[in-house]
Amino acid sequence: MLPPEALFVLDLLATFVPYVIVTLSLNLEYGFAGVPNFGKTLAVAGGAFMVGLLPGRLLAAFLGVGEGMDYVAQNAFIITAINSRLSSDIALSFGTLLITLVAVVLFGAFLGLIMSAPVARLRMDYLGMTFLAVGEVLLVIGNNYPPLVGGTLGIATPDPFSWASNYSIFSLSGGEMRNLTVTAFMLLMALVVFLYVQRLTHSPLGRVLRAIRDDENSALALGKDARSYRIKVIVFAAAIAAIGGALYAFYTANVVATAYSRVSWTFWPWVMVILGGAANNLGVVVGTFVFVTVRKLIVFYKDIFAPFLPFDVVWLDLILLGLALIIILIYKPGGIIPEKPIDTIRVGPVPGTPGKAGGAEGEVEGKEKGTAKGKRTGLWGRLKPHRPA
Amino acid sequence: MLDINVLLDAVVFSSLLTLLTMGLTLTYLTTKVPNFAHGSLGTVGIYLSLIVTRVLGVNIYMSIIPAFLVTGLVGVIQYILVLRPLDRRNASITTMMVATIAFELLLLSSLNILADYLSKTFFILSRYFQLKSYDFTFMDIRGVAFVAPLLVVVIIASLYFLLVRTKFGIAMRATIENSPLAGTVGINSNLVYLASWFIAGGLAGVAGSMLPLWFIGNPDTGSYLLISIFAAAVIGGIYNIYGAVIGGFVIGFAEILIIRLLASMGPPFGSWVIPYRPIIPLLAMVIVLMLAPRGITGTDFRKLATKFRRR
Repeated sequence: MLPPEALFVLDLLATFVPYVIVTLSLNLEYGFAGVPNFGKTLAVAGGAFMVGLLPGRLLAAFLGVGEGMDYVAQNAFIITAINSRLSSDIALSFGTLLITLVAVVLFGAFLGLIMSAPVARLRMDYLGMTFLAVGEVLLVIGNNYPPLVGGTLGIATPDPFSWASNYSIFSLSGGEMRNLTVTAFMLLMALVVFLYVQRLTHSPLGRVLRAIRDDENSALALGKDARSYRIKVIVFAAAIAAIGGALYAFYTANVVATAYSRVSWTFWPWVMVILGGAANNLGVVVGTFVFVTVRKLIVFYKDIFAPFLPFDVVWLDLILLGLALIIILIYKPGGIIPEKPIDTIRVGPVPGTPGKAGGAEGEVEGKEKGTAKGKRTGLWGRLKPHRPA
Repeated sequence: MLDINVLLDAVVFSSLLTLLTMGLTLTYLTTKVPNFAHGSLGTVGIYLSLIVTRVLGVNIYMSIIPAFLVTGLVGVIQYILVLRPLDRRNASITTMMVATIAFELLLLSSLNILADYLSKTFFILSRYFQLKSYDFTFMDIRGVAFVAPLLVVVIIASLYFLLVRTKFGIAMRATIENSPLAGTVGINSNLVYLASWFIAGGLAGVAGSMLPLWFIGNPDTGSYLLISIFAAAVIGGIYNIYGAVIGGFVIGFAEILIIRLLASMGPPFGSWVIPYRPIIPLLAMVIVLMLAPRGITGTDFRKLATKFRRR
């Protein structure tokens, strides 16, 4: 048995990971490219709906479970049968997981492509309004069309981690082992997404995006097609956000359309990004962690406040976070960890041209030796940043 | 197929939507930011009418006045505390939009707290409620079906009077056209901004106070209406306050009539289409943005026609 503190941390991390993936993708869009995506929930819901839609039906057909049954109406029975097979077949579990995640990424990218359609034509304010409106579409459809994700009742999803409950370390119960495994897998996914986004934003592409964000006309003058870069970013970000939604669905092992509301998956991620620091991936991770921790702590200690307050404590933390967001926007617009200057290579005067002799000499020397200055340093293979004084 | 109730439904909804949209357009014209909290400003009006009728026991039509004043004040608070500091720091439009979202979160959670408080202290239904029984009837038609359109007419008339006949209204229009230039001729643009946010909030509050007479009130009713409001504002032309009237009625009638029409048809349509109503303002908005992004009042239709003929 895990102590309540450990359960709290586990639950915290399991909520943190889907959000951090979504906020990293939003940071790519808003922080780096300046796209005001107020329809984040569309891609997140898309990923989650794919998990409710695809793996259960695939496995039911593959394993021959529930033939002649209505997948949605007999959902509980079919999922129980599938899970009992999955729990003894690790290869099948991981195969399902992999196929689903690939489908999720493709569907997310497709949704991103749809969302990027108005980007070329509209100004930022119109774009924000359009994104907000488009973001609700999947929720409305999912909530009212039961074959998709069970309508208002929701739908259970196959659990590709149920095999973990057969093993036990430190005398943990089966359910705890399962949650531990899911959380570990999700953390791994979050790490992969973080490294990917970090590489992407520190590549030349990341610099082009910032250039477009800061001064579109200058970027156009340098031959950078702002429109196609924005479309690319929205598609990538939607694919990443869909992974976040899918992981959330896998963790909770069910999908209910109403869970993917504008507030939970658009507004909260925005608060997290601004809180942590737009255009700084590490800052966004910190911001997400702070937001999720504050919420979880308030819910954890809810019983202590409850007798004194004539309302649900959950609303109080939203007020706190809303206020925090306003204060940060006004007084510390950079967030907890503000954006860093762009990494550049220290380039001395070109050899053979007039310039400061010392600097040129040093550079050439460094290049010739091939290690000291030209070598890639640091974890992300970035060059030593040069900060103009 | 089209009975009188459907028509009344459309008239009441369009009237309320028009009032909400006029407020949104007014704040957009002055502050140049779409207010994402505007729907929830309407919800403030909904709860004021609940308090007036169920807690204070006063006629629901008396709630129009406190709804206008209190919600107007909330609008002013939003401008002073959130948008003005950002505007003075030259924040980008996206930052301002995020700030209105932050205010939306504040309003939404405050309204939920208010709903919890009302039900726990006064033991009244404060979620998914209606106040139909507090309305009067005239010729078997509920009073709000007359009052709501009448309110729209009165408000448009008084707004027209304010903007065209009074010195302050002319100062408002000057500030909207060119704020720095208006400042140089001695117009207090700060006062104009405050007034426009007060009027915008007030109109939203009036619309909200009438809403539970016909529709269902809940802390998130306004947030759900937000997309319809945006759609109405964009279709009418967000640069023209009277465009809000056109947009409000186009979207209001489109939402209700199209859905009823489809629901009354045979397969493949039928009553299953009713929950998909939110898709209609979205589609209308996307189509208008693609064809004529300045909306009905902002588009030169002759130019658009020649553009199509040339193709």
